[in-house]
Amino acid sequence: MKVMIVEDEMLLAMELESEVEMAGHQVTGLAMSSAQARDQLGKAKPDFAFVDIHLMDGPTGIDVGRELAAAGIPYVFVSGNIKRIPPDFAGALGAIEKPYTMNGMKNALVYVSAIIQGDDSGAPPASLVLAEDANAGKSFG
Amino acid sequence: MQEKDQNRRDARSAGDRLVAGHVSEDPFAAAFKATRMPMIVTDPSQPDNPIIFCNDAFRKLTGYSDDEIIGRNCRFLQGSETDRETVAKIRDSIVAGRDVAVDILNYRKDGSTFWNAVFISPVRDEAGTIIYFFASQLDFTTVKSREADLAAARHEAEAEVAKHTANLRAALEARTLLVHEVDHRVKNNLLTMASIVKMQARIATDDRQRKTLMSVLNRIEALSTVQRKLFTLDDVSKFDMSEFTRELVTDLVDATGRKDIRLSLDLSPLLVPAVKATPLSLIVNELVGDAVRRGLSDGGGDIHVVVRRLNGHFLIRVEDTSEPVEPDRESAQLGKLLLEASALQLGAEIQRKQDGRKTVVDVVLLVGDHQESAH
Repeated sequence: MKVMIVEDEMLLAMELESEVEMAGHQVTGLAMSSAQARDQLGKAKPDFAFVDIHLMDGPTGIDVGRELAAAGIPYVFVSGNIKRIPPDFAGALGAIEKPYTMNGMKNALVYVSAIIQGDDSGAPPASLVLAEDANAGKSFG
Repeated sequence: MQEKDQNRRDARSAGDRLVAGHVSEDPFAAAFKATRMPMIVTDPSQPDNPIIFCNDAFRKLTGYSDDEIIGRNCRFLQGSETDRETVAKIRDSIVAGRDVAVDILNYRKDGSTFWNAVFISPVRDEAGTIIYFFASQLDFTTVKSREADLAAARHEAEAEVAKHTANLRAALEARTLLVHEVDHRVKNNLLTMASIVKMQARIATDDRQRKTLMSVLNRIEALSTVQRKLFTLDDVSKFDMSEFTRELVTDLVDATGRKDIRLSLDLSPLLVPAVKATPLSLIVNELVGDAVRRGLSDGGGDIHVVVRRLNGHFLIRVEDTSEPVEPDRESAQLGKLLLEASALQLGAEIQRKQDGRKTVVDVVLLVGDHQESAH
């Protein structure tokens, strides 16, 4: 699948890009701010996105997330503070908490790409907090 | 003026008649005159219900002489600060012939004020007609001023408390903000460190080097998982060993993608002081890592992890049944060092038993109840 990465820490973004590519996916772009994200979304529509909450222009990741949800693009938040995610999860599938591990990210990618291909038979990995579970006051730990 | 004088004379003679009705040795009259409680009698049958009698205590209280009191209506004690509603209440009660007890601000002859607790009661004859009103006074200015002082002191204290509360709240907010900021930075730095090691591992062409870097990455990531689990409980000074173990072991086993590594967990919530989180987590990481590595050999294996209290102490057990494989020497040596150092720091006992394909490692941490507690 085609993946967009919205993350203001370039080192983390590049490393995540490598992980995504290693898992057999393509990265459509790395965006460090909400403006860059909008710009890239105008050019190419990804199948999926990773979105950090805090970007170069502030906690605008949530706005980017809402726009992705409005455009029908599934995404997950990647953040050090998942408590900052609004109760409705801004339309996200879920969240991966930083600092994630290589295995945690790998497992989340496998699960998410299966979901996007319409296969929801797998169990969500421990590294991914699903929106519906977070809203029910639970989390996978 | 003449009429007024006449009224006064009438009032005085009414008072005289009242006194004359009681022989000098009448104990009630004597008591009335001598009591320290200021008292007056008024005559409602005369115009404007004048005072016809007052005792010595009343004269002392108000500073007026008998001549100045007799024949006047009580209202001469009122002044500009006297509450109009209280006056109206007295008037209404007198018109209705009812008892009334009010607190009223009155004025002395010299213009000074006093708080007067007045009780007024009608006196009836045998036919039930009101013939007099009797009124007693009580100067409670000192009580009133003490009340005012207390109220002022209370207001001051409340204001002080409100100020301190606001300061504390602001300090708490600042502290919470700081904790979040520091936590956020630590998390970001851990991920950045892990990313640097991963980048170097990707660049490395030598398999040996790459393995070493991945071995370092594994330990950094164990600390990352610890950091993620810190501050998630209501009590931020505690760390749930079970939650950590669940995430670490499932992530590790899931990532192998091997269906022939079967994992079973027996985890009870186990809260340890946050300061013990790092060494304890490094121990669990080594033991689980070892078990998974063994399970990676052909034929897979079974891994069973237990975290629970045992006789007041707590137990972490990692059990695996798999074909023994020769571990990587360098990685095994690092693992051994980390285990020993962490166990030493915690005062934990590590026991390893091997029986054929089965390996059981028990970590027992001896703790007092003041140091940890389960839910």
